[in-house]
Amino acid sequence: MFSRLFIISCLLLFLLVACVPSNSSQSLVYIDLNNLESLPTPQKKEVRPLRVAIAAVISPQGSAESYAPLLDYISQELNRPVERVQRRTYTEVNELIRTGEVDLAFVCTSSYLVGKKQFGMQLLAAPQVNGEVVYNAEIIVPADSSAKSLEDLRGKVFAYTDPISFTGRMYPTYLLQKAGEDPEEYFARTFFTYSHDDAINAVAAGLADGASVDKLVLDYAIKRDPALAEKIQVIHTSPPFGMPPVVVNPDIRPQLKAQLTDILLNTHLDPDGKYALQDLDYDRFVVVSAEDYQSAEAIESAVQCCQPEGK
Amino acid sequence: MSRNHWRKFTARFWKLVGGVSVRTKIFGIVLGSTLMLSLGFTLQVHHALRSVLEQKAQEQGISITRDIAARSTDLILINDLYSIHQLLVETQANFSDVRYAFIVDPQGQVLAHTFSAGFPTDLIEANTAAGMDYQNTTLVQTDEGQVWDVAVPIFGGKAGTARVGISDQSMRQTLTTLTTQLGLTILVVLAGSLLAASLLTWVLTRPILELVEVTRSVARGDFSARVQRWADDEIGDLAEAFNQMIIELGRLDVVRQEREALRKQLLEGMITVQEEERRRISRELHDSTSQSLTSLMIGLRNVSDVCSKPAVDEQIKLLRKEVSTTLDEVHTLAVQLRPVILDDLGLKAALERSVAEWGKRHKIAVDVFVHLGSTRLPDYMKTALYRIIQEALTNIAKHAHAESVSVLVERQKGGLVAVIEDDGQGFEVDNEFDSMHLGLLSMKERAELLDGTLVVESSSGYGTSIYVSIPIASKNGVDNGR
Repeated sequence: MFSRLFIISCLLLFLLVACVPSNSSQSLVYIDLNNLESLPTPQKKEVRPLRVAIAAVISPQGSAESYAPLLDYISQELNRPVERVQRRTYTEVNELIRTGEVDLAFVCTSSYLVGKKQFGMQLLAAPQVNGEVVYNAEIIVPADSSAKSLEDLRGKVFAYTDPISFTGRMYPTYLLQKAGEDPEEYFARTFFTYSHDDAINAVAAGLADGASVDKLVLDYAIKRDPALAEKIQVIHTSPPFGMPPVVVNPDIRPQLKAQLTDILLNTHLDPDGKYALQDLDYDRFVVVSAEDYQSAEAIESAVQCCQPEGK
Repeated sequence: MSRNHWRKFTARFWKLVGGVSVRTKIFGIVLGSTLMLSLGFTLQVHHALRSVLEQKAQEQGISITRDIAARSTDLILINDLYSIHQLLVETQANFSDVRYAFIVDPQGQVLAHTFSAGFPTDLIEANTAAGMDYQNTTLVQTDEGQVWDVAVPIFGGKAGTARVGISDQSMRQTLTTLTTQLGLTILVVLAGSLLAASLLTWVLTRPILELVEVTRSVARGDFSARVQRWADDEIGDLAEAFNQMIIELGRLDVVRQEREALRKQLLEGMITVQEEERRRISRELHDSTSQSLTSLMIGLRNVSDVCSKPAVDEQIKLLRKEVSTTLDEVHTLAVQLRPVILDDLGLKAALERSVAEWGKRHKIAVDVFVHLGSTRLPDYMKTALYRIIQEALTNIAKHAHAESVSVLVERQKGGLVAVIEDDGQGFEVDNEFDSMHLGLLSMKERAELLDGTLVVESSSGYGTSIYVSIPIASKNGVDNGR
């Protein structure tokens, strides 16, 4: 009798179990996670792309986005693929230019000055912004800060951009050294953000009590995000310095150099080029000479800091 | 299911359920419902928890992958492969559910991954995410179980895709642990149910079994048995009512026994009176009437001697014949009423003679065997046996159309046994016992008055056998050896 009851119970149980919906009935892709193979090495591209370095004036993502249309334009004009190369620091980019790993580079003014001194980095052109081929450094503080000048930032937290950035490091250091202060002692704490937009964000967020940034980048950032203007205030603007240039290695093939110069100088004449320049807020590219950077060079040589490591 | 089928089903069900003891029923119901409830509950919890855990695992996978995508963007743009690798390895170390993590560049090249030596290359194609996607999750079957592969585009897909595999192993482990715990709980609950069922069975069946026991005692005639009232509930009420019923039955039984005794006494008295009366009439007929008739015969012979005329002789002869016939009839009547021989010579002689006479009278072959040994029977017992056999023979003569009859009376251990058999037409005992054979009833009464039994065996066409058994005890006044 018990056995019959047992069989009935079993049947009921089976029904219960069968009623519970079961998933994973669809066929799944099967992968053996322990069948490890060596990854194929990337194939050598048939056409060697033009390698263009972009110094981290603004953050890598910002640079990649802003420069994309211009790089596309260069690629189109040159009829050759263009590869964007980015590094965290100016020094790393300078190193790429020195070793010839990149053909063309958008660098900071100080990078050019350092590169020129080290291995004879050559100027190709510089962007003209709002009719000017010069730019300024601006010292910013949070909007609610009571600081009115660099003097008020004594004992505060200061954000530098790159160790060899002209506007972000050299200029404020120059100002303090000129006033007879030791920058290492002057601020309670300093840190590097490795890009101007991150320095602006650090001040806006209150992480830093002050920072010195590229005016062009600040204007560009405020244009992108108008709310930023309410979070910061400018307490000092520097005299004009030579615009961050487009540079090449001194050993570049003259033909490529001429070709690139031609493309850059005529960008604003082409509809696609004009569109690409608009994304960067550039009017056009113009020819610049070493003389245009003398005011900056004077500060660079006066400043007792900011030498690339190992030099 | 048609009504007929349903009826069949219910009939079978009740046959099945009705066939088991109450104990089994209670155990079946308690265990069955406990099992059903627990298992249903476990399955439901298992299922619900599984969906929740799956969802959580997927959500966690998506957050982790999006975090990797966000944190690796700059690292990819500045080509910091080591930091990317570190990011992936640390992510895997921090989240135990992450089985693997890797980053594919827009050309489908793996930039960094967490596999130690080599890479399962099939995995690259297993999942993709377009530049505009928030994420894309695919379930992948692997040799280590199922894995949710989450793909999140990095920098709108321009910097590649972050891929993370969330293993379901810890989820399975959680499920197994929970299910095991629930299973153990169910076992404990089952044990508790078993105890409760035993208690319930004990509480329910103990009074029932006691009722059965007491009912059997009452059936045996023991009215002193009582059911104990265990609890103040319905079963207690039943016990009370049952006890009340036994008391009432006992009272009725006393009344019945009194009446029965009275009836027996009355019957005995009637039979005794009847026998006494018969014996008196028989004596009267034998001693007085027969003597008178014999005197009449002698007187008539004397008359014929004195006055010898042919006409008178003729008349006297006729008268003498008439008187002789009357004398015979009176003799027969006297014997039938009460054979003097029974009182004078005993049962054996009386039976042998009366049976032989009966055979002669009805022209039926009779075989009679009476073996009483040295036992001397009391009068009433002799009379009863004689009357029973007499009645039996009367019945045979009236109804049986028998050709031969055998009568056996034997003293056996413990009593007297009489067997009367005939080869007549017989009858159906059950049908005709009371209506047709009133004589049989009186035979039975006589036997039972002496605490004996009378059994009739017969069927149509096969004759009839009557077995009479009367015990001999001191009560029946038998003196052995006399």
